[in-house]
Amino acid sequence: MITIDSINNWFVQNFGEVTLEQAKSWFIYNPDEKLLFNTGLFLGLFLVFYFVYGFLRKTFYLRLTYVILFSLFFYYKSSGIYFLLLLLSSVVDYGLSQIIYNTAKDSTKKVYLVISVILNLGLLGYFKYMNFMIVTYNDMFSGHFALHNVFLPVGISFYTFQSMSYIIEIYREEIKPTKNYIEYLFFVSFFPQLVAGPIVRAKDFLPQIYQKLNLTKQDVNNALFLIIGGLIKKTVISNYISINFVDRVFDTPMNYTSFENLMASYGYAIQIYCDFSGYSDMAIGIALLLGFKLPANFRTPYKSVSITDFWRRWHISLSTWLKDFLYISIGGNREGSFAGFLFPSLFFFGLLLWGITNINTSFIPLTIAIGSIVVFCLSFLLSKKKNQTLVTNFNLFTTMLLGGLWHGAGAQFIVWGALHGLALAVHKIFMELFPSKKEGPSWLWRFFSILITFHFVVFCWIFFRARDFETALQVINNIGQLTFEPENWKAIVLGYKNVFLLMLFGYVWHFLPEVITDKMKFVFDRTPLLLKAVILGFVYWIVYATAVAGSQPFIYFQF
Amino acid sequence: MNTKPYFFQSFAIVALAFIAFIGFKQVLPNKIFSDSKIDSKNVLIDSMLLESVANDSLSLESDSIAEAEQQEAQKEIVFENTEGIEFPSETFENYKGYQYLVSFYEKLYQLEKNPQSKVRIAYYGDSMTDGDLIVQDVRTNYQERFGGNGVGFVSITSESAASRGSVKSVYSKNWKTQSYLNVKRPTSPFGVNGHVFFANDKTNPTWVQYEAGTNKYATTLDNPVLFYGKAAKRGNVNFIIGKDTLKKNLVPSNLVNSLKVTSGSIKAFKANFVHADSIPIYGFNFDNGSGVHVDNFSQRGNSGLPISMFDADVMRGFNNSLKYDLVVLHYGTNVLNYGTKNYYWYEKGMKKAVNKIRESFPGVSILIVSTADKSTKYDLEMKTDSAVVPLMKAQKRYALESESGFVNLYTLMGGDGSMVKWVDETPARANKDYTHFNQRGAKAIGKLLYDQLNKGYEEYKILREKRDVVSRQQRAARKANTDSIAVKNDSVYE
Repeated sequence: MITIDSINNWFVQNFGEVTLEQAKSWFIYNPDEKLLFNTGLFLGLFLVFYFVYGFLRKTFYLRLTYVILFSLFFYYKSSGIYFLLLLLSSVVDYGLSQIIYNTAKDSTKKVYLVISVILNLGLLGYFKYMNFMIVTYNDMFSGHFALHNVFLPVGISFYTFQSMSYIIEIYREEIKPTKNYIEYLFFVSFFPQLVAGPIVRAKDFLPQIYQKLNLTKQDVNNALFLIIGGLIKKTVISNYISINFVDRVFDTPMNYTSFENLMASYGYAIQIYCDFSGYSDMAIGIALLLGFKLPANFRTPYKSVSITDFWRRWHISLSTWLKDFLYISIGGNREGSFAGFLFPSLFFFGLLLWGITNINTSFIPLTIAIGSIVVFCLSFLLSKKKNQTLVTNFNLFTTMLLGGLWHGAGAQFIVWGALHGLALAVHKIFMELFPSKKEGPSWLWRFFSILITFHFVVFCWIFFRARDFETALQVINNIGQLTFEPENWKAIVLGYKNVFLLMLFGYVWHFLPEVITDKMKFVFDRTPLLLKAVILGFVYWIVYATAVAGSQPFIYFQF
Repeated sequence: MNTKPYFFQSFAIVALAFIAFIGFKQVLPNKIFSDSKIDSKNVLIDSMLLESVANDSLSLESDSIAEAEQQEAQKEIVFENTEGIEFPSETFENYKGYQYLVSFYEKLYQLEKNPQSKVRIAYYGDSMTDGDLIVQDVRTNYQERFGGNGVGFVSITSESAASRGSVKSVYSKNWKTQSYLNVKRPTSPFGVNGHVFFANDKTNPTWVQYEAGTNKYATTLDNPVLFYGKAAKRGNVNFIIGKDTLKKNLVPSNLVNSLKVTSGSIKAFKANFVHADSIPIYGFNFDNGSGVHVDNFSQRGNSGLPISMFDADVMRGFNNSLKYDLVVLHYGTNVLNYGTKNYYWYEKGMKKAVNKIRESFPGVSILIVSTADKSTKYDLEMKTDSAVVPLMKAQKRYALESESGFVNLYTLMGGDGSMVKWVDETPARANKDYTHFNQRGAKAIGKLLYDQLNKGYEEYKILREKRDVVSRQQRAARKANTDSIAVKNDSVYE
């Protein structure tokens, strides 16, 4: 017979005793335990939230308010008191957007637009770049400004960009503003994409608010498929290989062999893809469960045949944002602008300075500096339409530099952006000089294009991942000393068996032909409801079992 | 296509999945990745450690350990007077053992009075001190205060040579290396660094090249001296300094021989070994002849136990020219991962190692540095590994019993859960393996270590002052009382 006691016992056995203290901690901000989609707490909270949401599906403002409250709570769990910042910036942005919409005169509109851009970027600049700027200033002019103790509110880079897209689109008269603040706040604070993207564009999202909320079986299938994939990518592949291998090598690259450094670079490439795209997929899936369609953010980027192709497949919501609002704003491929010339010039000037100051120890920095300037200049001098290519390349380079900086405050991110900017320019001139044939490239050509693009991207990731510039150079130097020693490689692979298996799994999954992934999706769509639940439950278990797996003890190889 | 609302089915799937998860959790094993034993000849593992773990059959009931430990913690340790110096008594809990560093402190005191004299420290460690981490910071701290230039003794090759910034060394790949870590019977005895190297490639040149690093007080290579051992046949070595080549003979007649490369300070040089196949080569010493010098003898994977294999005669040979005043033994990281919390076997083994040090370097002070904090995942959380505290206590026990000083690195860095903090804080001070410090952390540890040692030294100076005042008074009293015949001088040295 089932009694209350027996239920209680079962519960305690499976979940442990839940104390009042614990229950409280579920609702209070804890900087060490962020509310990520892959945590048990999120699952629990979401279940309760989702149950009520189903009943509210036919209401409008009640439902919006309900989601806003949950979103604010979600943000509070990640950033504590800074959820007020989100509220404040949304009030200001909403106010400015109303003014811009209701103003007739173009010049006045522009003034308000500039104010709002400055406010948004200023906010982002203070929280994200203040200390970086102080450190850079102190280093360059041996200043002694104290660092600010700034907390970086989670997702600030994402939601400021999202608010800016709303205002700029209103300014460009691409969308009409929302009818009231509630609708606007719903758009800005929508929790699935709030902290890590995708950066949803107002013109894609706002129309969905006003549609009758509907959720079809196909939507749910798509959502579950995305969530399952995302969970595996993020919590199994990415987390495990980073903590047990990649982080260690990048912490002290010189303590590891060349082969380990090389594998850690490949490892990081699949780790960052799985981490980022996995989280995006979960966000898109969860939004879909709520009846909202967010745009895809990644399309198997390492299958790209060129660097231009890569940026159409990697973090799509960011690259289109940058294209529409930064690249086009500074002139695009039409005209040059002060900003478009300023940043690349500053960058190349800095590069030259770096080369000259290091001339006493090595000629390599200066060679690199002059070499990259020559390459960049050749990329438009060789073109038939010199002037147009010149402005395009400068604007593109600016976009990539600032895009690099968006990822984090540090010189290595700028270098990362610059490398990609340079590669884009080189690819463009290459395409102009050697136009591809109409009948499409051969199989072999395609293979080498993918191989080269992939390795260039991995090379750039080294700068992205390394703690500082020096560490990045150590990794590259170390890989440069690689010799062919299959016996030793085997020993290393066996030593890190689990890590390498997961890496292999990640890459095989990534490079699977679309036919096969489509087939898997097709089969998944047709499994009965109960089986889907079991599959999802099994994935929960995998996530759990990986999370409790102890870290692998360190190994030192000796050859 | 079915366009009926699907909210409740959707909810049902997520909810049912949750129930399925509970089911899986009960049925399936707890861990998805096997913690497989790594079995490879290429992995650095301390062979003596493996033997000791295998032989370890002694295990007490845990209750009796807990009880004994509680009594032990409060046990009062009273020191015996050395040279008229007696440090105040301590509890086992807070044991530091400054008393046993008195001879080292006296040498520091002499150095402070006469800057031309010198003090030498041998710092033995494991991967924690790889790449001169921690040790270079201890060295800089000492040289800052007491003077001295140079990085001390540097081995010919080392797995961590590439990561060392305090001196850069590059070497040919054809050196034959034997390490006390995994070789029981070396062709020739191990050097003070625990290694022995042979240049026995007859076709290709065997060489090593050193270049000064950028650390403070180590921007030049001062008075480089080569150390090599005994062999039947002579050999040659060519030192290349800039454009000059110095040809020298290796005369391997004694257990330990030294050969001066050049006098004064240089930036870099290369040593080419010719016909030196049977001669055991150990390494080079770089010091300016005065002040404090600290030798880093780190070896990845070392538990410390292999020190007991040292050949005391050879070590005395090294000591004749290097003259050590303090030996630091910083181990523990590599004995944490064997699933045991009873470290009696390790205590026993390390006492042998300490005895070997005493035999090898007569009169030297010894300092034991305990394991640092290390974290392991328990369920979903990283916490201090349950073996850390038992190991630290065992280390304290053999420090006390072997009359050595003790630095409790675990409490010094913050005690329980501190490694998690060091890893997670920004900027991080330890690596993601939750075991090793990074540059920043190592610097902090080096400072903590130096500060504790220095605190002992300051106390020593006060005690010494008191002693001298007392003895002056006694002498004055003696002079006044001229009737008495010469009193046998007690052991007061001034």
